[in-house]
Amino acid sequence: MDQSAMASQYQVLEELGSGSFGVVYKAVEIATGELVAIKHIDLESSEDDIQDIQQEISVLSTCASPFVTQYKTSFLRGYKLWIVMEYLGGGSCLDLLKPGPFEEKHIAIICRELLMGLDYLHQEGKIHRDIKAANVLLAHSGGVKLADFGVAAQLTNIKSQRNTFVGTPFWMAPEVIQQAGYDFKADIWSLGITAMEMVNGEPPNASTHPMKVLFLIPKAPAPRLEGSNYSKDFKDFIAACLVKDPDRRPTAKELLQHRYIKTAGRVDSLQELIQRRQMWDGSRGRSANPKFYEETMNTMSALGDQEDWLFDTVKAPTMVMPKQTQSHTQRRRKEPKIHDEIQHSPETLLSRLTLNETEQTSPPPSTVRRATMKRSSSGFGTTPSPAKRRFSGQKQPLAPSTNFGNAGSTVRQFRRVSDNSPEMSPNASIAEGDENRPPKVETVTKEALLGRRAYSKAIDPALQEIYAQTGNPIKREAISRVALAWDSLDKDDPDGEYHLLKLIIAKVQSDPKLAALLPPSQPPTPQKPKLVLAQNNPHLKSHRRRQSSLLPTEDMWTDKPLQLPGELIPGLEHTKQLADVLYSKWAEGLKNRWPNV
Amino acid sequence: MAFFFRTKAKSDIVKPTKDLLNRLWQVPKLQKTEEEAAKMLGQMKVLLVGNQEVEAASPEQILNLVNTMIQEDFLYVLAHSLHLLPFEGRKDSQTIFCTILRFRPPGSTAEISPALAYVIDERPEVIIELCRGYNHSESVMPCGVVLREIVKNEDVAQIILCDESQENEAAIRINMIDENKPASGNGVFWDFFPCIDKAAFEVSADAFSTFREIITKHKSIVPKYLSVNFELFFERYHSQLIASNSYVTKRQSIKLLGEILLDRANYAVMTAYVDRGKHLKICMNLLRHDRKMVQYESFHVFKVFVANPNKSDEVVRILTQNRDRLLKFLPTFLDDRTEDDQFNDEKAFIIRQIELLPAGA
Repeated sequence: MDQSAMASQYQVLEELGSGSFGVVYKAVEIATGELVAIKHIDLESSEDDIQDIQQEISVLSTCASPFVTQYKTSFLRGYKLWIVMEYLGGGSCLDLLKPGPFEEKHIAIICRELLMGLDYLHQEGKIHRDIKAANVLLAHSGGVKLADFGVAAQLTNIKSQRNTFVGTPFWMAPEVIQQAGYDFKADIWSLGITAMEMVNGEPPNASTHPMKVLFLIPKAPAPRLEGSNYSKDFKDFIAACLVKDPDRRPTAKELLQHRYIKTAGRVDSLQELIQRRQMWDGSRGRSANPKFYEETMNTMSALGDQEDWLFDTVKAPTMVMPKQTQSHTQRRRKEPKIHDEIQHSPETLLSRLTLNETEQTSPPPSTVRRATMKRSSSGFGTTPSPAKRRFSGQKQPLAPSTNFGNAGSTVRQFRRVSDNSPEMSPNASIAEGDENRPPKVETVTKEALLGRRAYSKAIDPALQEIYAQTGNPIKREAISRVALAWDSLDKDDPDGEYHLLKLIIAKVQSDPKLAALLPPSQPPTPQKPKLVLAQNNPHLKSHRRRQSSLLPTEDMWTDKPLQLPGELIPGLEHTKQLADVLYSKWAEGLKNRWPNV
Repeated sequence: MAFFFRTKAKSDIVKPTKDLLNRLWQVPKLQKTEEEAAKMLGQMKVLLVGNQEVEAASPEQILNLVNTMIQEDFLYVLAHSLHLLPFEGRKDSQTIFCTILRFRPPGSTAEISPALAYVIDERPEVIIELCRGYNHSESVMPCGVVLREIVKNEDVAQIILCDESQENEAAIRINMIDENKPASGNGVFWDFFPCIDKAAFEVSADAFSTFREIITKHKSIVPKYLSVNFELFFERYHSQLIASNSYVTKRQSIKLLGEILLDRANYAVMTAYVDRGKHLKICMNLLRHDRKMVQYESFHVFKVFVANPNKSDEVVRILTQNRDRLLKFLPTFLDDRTEDDQFNDEKAFIIRQIELLPAGA
């Protein structure tokens, strides 16, 4: 199955928010017209092991409950992973809290639904580990669902425990912070904190630095809801969730029997919260200013334009070494390396290319897509939100942002700090300035560039050649029609052009008889290194076809003894020993990098 | 009443469940059969692991259940029919498999569970059927989880590596395996390659995890296997995994290659690998891939070629030829990784090694 083709089954609309890793978009499944939410995870910018992301998918895909956001499918598009989930139009509880705290009766309903979700998960041997208002989504109908399984855990054994330190500080249970082993009960604690968040607009200790909170939670007495504004049942429910000893903390099933929960109303009434939010938006004259989805695959490879490695396949004499090489080398090495006119690292070429490609449209760098992670409320103008959130900018790395969904505040186990700024895509959010602009935005994708290139380098010349060789006027006419058609394809949809070509080649290759037309795929060592075209360039194929008969047989090494005695290069004997020592020392270090090897 | 219920043999559940599983193959498949089979498996799961209300059965009862399963050839039927089950039934089957294959009666001194011993010695087809679970998107997850659980066992890994049986044929017996015999490339292990390359993301990613477990966990059989099947393995590894169109497959497989090469147990494989010029060429081209993480992972393969104190003539020639190019290329290579000390140390070491090479022709 062609993975990239799956993406074309969806029309991606505006951005909904950013999750624990990746941006979430609203989209339509074209075939059914159904709305879905698609999370785009940039695998390239995450150094997290891809296996962690698989973990999220495997937890999600084994859930089938009305209280958990339904996973639909996932696929790769280039270096992005798209995770398709059901769309929930009501938004997250955090989002709905913006107009102000919830009433008790609403909180009771939400808590009941969450407890049913948690009961399901816990029965399945799953721990969510990141329960908070931002991860609770509402359907238009008022249905409540748990979302964001970015850090969820699957236990293999119903009684086993976890030690991993994940979650978001303010909501973390004491036993999680102490890393003394914890189980399902950790979610119950977080639920209690979430209930307090919903009634106060923020979790307890919200004004404290998150790192300090980590010390506070295990030491301080469990938070309590105080005051005569709240019902006794509600206070008691919170106190039941927030028991510091996990063994004495009730399970989700037990809490479902709590009076506060038993007397909760129907989910329909949660629609009031959604309407409240809409009115709030309206009263603030906040025009819908959605950020539309745009492709950011505009990092064109410099392949083919760059000086390539020199691999000749000449078999003959190995290494004729002049005696004076050593001193020569030494001198060479000291030469400054500035005069690199011809050759640049792929990155420099790349960035230069990207800039050129998008010059006309490039907005100030501050609107780069990734910045949305930190843009706390810039989308709504600079007015601070009325909810009493007091997060200073300095706390960014751990402080929850007020974004929809869940900003990058969740602590993940393996996140290494990656300093390389994520793919800067200068044309990331053009839609910002003009809300009337349709979601379809001109994009410069890698595919499109390749498509254009293939057209100008291969298809167009080939068509002209054939046209010139054809005598019959009817046939000539037919060919020219094809040429015209292709020309318009190239103008309107170079991206499609690229995919078409790629598919044609793939189809030809998959048919045994047709495949004979193409030479067997070679390792990327064309005889003349200067002539390196994109692998899928049909021109290259024909080039190879012509040359394939000339290619010398590659494999001349099979008869070689596997281990050569340490090769002695004149003048370099002394380095061998050093290299040996360094090598073994260093192989040891590498083992630490992959301790599971 | 409760007492009465408890005395009924728990193992009575096996036979009817097996019959239901067999009926799943009837055309047309009845939804009722599906539901009933799933229900039985649900009960079986609760027997084995319990839930919040019900305690699991006693070890004696479970042992009884295991023995009945062996008599009835239940595990094979379950593996074979897994993809026909509904969602919950598949999940429960996974739990049943994992529990049964892990279960050891109290006081047992055997190294492995009776069920796993039986599967290895008498019914390796169960293992092969689980591998074939990758052919159906429904059964990928449960089969993958069970497989990763059991390939920790060396014999299981050996069977997967060496089996060449086709559908409906008997699988290879563990005592018949000749580890010097080259693989034909048609066995179930070799099916992992196209699956990882071509299948949908979830399938491919799961298959890769299993593949990786098999390749990295068994220091006493895998190095031998890789040496015997050196050409075939790396030819497929390069053409189907490293050259894959899938970004994830490409990146993961380069990383895994680095791990294979740097594993002390694979020393012979490593030296043979880094002797080949064509391998170095593949690697050098990957250094110039347009994705940084691919470049990064390939660096960890490239360094093995350069650091190898006994480079082959061919490798030395390629490096020498490209010495100046490399010395221009490497200093700026991934130079935004300023925080990654280990990488920078290694890069500096590699640059130094290349500088020490004689100047290029």
